Amino acid sequence: MPLMPRWKRFRPERDGTLTVSLAEEELGLLRALPDQLREVFDEHEDDPVRARLFPRAYLDPTAETEEAEWQALVGPSLLRERLDALELISATLGRAELVGDWWQIHLTPDEVQAWLGVLNDTRLVLGTRLGVTEEERVLDPADPDAGPYALYQWLTWVQGDLIEELL
Amino acid sequence: MPVEVQEPAVEELTVTDKPWIVIVWNDPVNLMSYVVYVFQKLFGYSRKKATKLMRQVHEEGKAIVSDGPVEKCEADVARLHAHGLWATMEHPS
Repeated sequence: MPLMPRWKRFRPERDGTLTVSLAEEELGLLRALPDQLREVFDEHEDDPVRARLFPRAYLDPTAETEEAEWQALVGPSLLRERLDALELISATLGRAELVGDWWQIHLTPDEVQAWLGVLNDTRLVLGTRLGVTEEERVLDPADPDAGPYALYQWLTWVQGDLIEELL
Repeated sequence: MPVEVQEPAVEELTVTDKPWIVIVWNDPVNLMSYVVYVFQKLFGYSRKKATKLMRQVHEEGKAIVSDGPVEKCEADVARLHAHGLWATMEHPS
């Protein structure tokens, strides 16, 4: 897969927007994310992925009343925010323009935040499913985890580049 | 917070006034640079302070990132969760 040289991925413009450049396959990978995440967000079963995306607030396991009240108070808006970010990133991916060999999108600051959130949520989902640790894994290409892990690493790379631009 | 009507015992005051604390726990997914960015964005911390807290999370497994009344801590935890960080709150006894 052709990859963007990392010094070119995100370029700040004078008007405060950020231009992202993507190879065609990369654009395709990103376009597939919102639907996949929406499916995860819609699931209501308690599983490790859900627990990672929507953790408890109260450390004390006996603080059930406080925890339930807090979940009732903020749960819907935490979900809404994540769904809004999916809408926003989809809209940006829909207006990508081919410039030379690369697909380019100009991102406003709000859209950049949506990108950051979606990249991070996807990494949390994949990372939890794959059981990643801080050590890098070397997987046989035949390993069923090889594809998802390669996607995870690529997203890590893109997110890292984006944060470099923001810090 | 209760209004002081009689002179309370010293210990009582200490317990009542103790703030809640918000803890961020280490996890293998969130990038170090991202955690610094989130601390700066949510709490307005300097790059130096945010980096120090991130290092503490990374090296010691957790760090106290904010404190205050229960409502403030509940809001801080919600913002941290919205950004994908693993945060909890507790009342130190």
